[in-house]
Amino acid sequence: MNIQYKKGVLELLVLSLLKKQDWYGYEISEYLSRHIDIADGTVYPLLRKLKSEGLVTTYMQEESGGPPRKYYSITNLGRETYEKERAEYLNFAQRVAEILEGDNNDQK
Amino acid sequence: MTRNEFLTKLADELKKNNITDADEIISEYEQHFAFKMADGFSEEEIAARLGNPVELASQFESHVENIKSGGKKVTTVLGLVFIDIFAGAFFVLLFAWEIIMAAFAVCNAVAAVCLSIGSSPWSLIPPMPYVPAIVFALSLTALFVLTTVGCIYFAAFIRQLMRSYGRFHKNTIAAASGNAVLPSLGIYPRLPAKTNRRIRTVAMISLILFTTCFVLGMILSMILSGSLEFWHEWGWFGYNAVK
Repeated sequence: MNIQYKKGVLELLVLSLLKKQDWYGYEISEYLSRHIDIADGTVYPLLRKLKSEGLVTTYMQEESGGPPRKYYSITNLGRETYEKERAEYLNFAQRVAEILEGDNNDQK
Repeated sequence: MTRNEFLTKLADELKKNNITDADEIISEYEQHFAFKMADGFSEEEIAARLGNPVELASQFESHVENIKSGGKKVTTVLGLVFIDIFAGAFFVLLFAWEIIMAAFAVCNAVAAVCLSIGSSPWSLIPPMPYVPAIVFALSLTALFVLTTVGCIYFAAFIRQLMRSYGRFHKNTIAAASGNAVLPSLGIYPRLPAKTNRRIRTVAMISLILFTTCFVLGMILSMILSGSLEFWHEWGWFGYNAVK
């Protein structure tokens, strides 16, 4: 599948993941690469972009027997943006599916 | 590509693209390597799965915020310097107190030894019969233990206070430059429960021993000298001995 398709929705997926609880970068990367075929490293530029847009914040937390980990946490702005874009995306995806499936039926 | 090759390449590319907080980005990838290697992946596998460092670096956009917060950072650092001056003076006072306490502890020990062996260097130890002297020596030994424990705990307290202040210092700068902050540290030393219990026990025992022996020594002196104000009898503090 074309990488450009995926990149557009990755932000949405990260926000949906962070809506439930805070995660550190590695967990987010693992989650995404389990579900979607992307390069592991792609998630970090994405997280940084979300942070600079104010949709997520970070904080450090000390773990026993290891260096402090950087956790990502969704902001209120992030939540609002997520709800809005989620609705938009689902609506868009549904229309695309309708058209493409209709096309498939025509050929039969 | 090995871990070091990947990270070096990424750092070079980030620098080329004028990314300001490259260190923070690199540390994320370092952690990624650490986690993956703990799961048993080889450096080459991990680097391959991460993707091409040149491509990854190009996905980072240069931070506009950092340039904006430049002025704020200068103000914060200036403010911190002023706070540091006061905090520095405060820490000097704490150190001075620690030294005074330690000196007091040593004095107690020396006086206790002198009393028990009956020597009086430069006639500093007032004359008294041997029995109250040994009781006073015991009392001073207990006081020595008490002050030593106090010294040790106070040293731990100063250390923790300095660490806590250091963390505050670092966090303030980090917050001003838009980096992630670490949780702040408490000012009281967190010693193991066992050590805490021991310190408390030793302090209690030595306090009781000190008080008891001190009072006992006074009473013994009064009885032996036959006077409530025994120091008159024995010619202490410049009084002429009543013979």
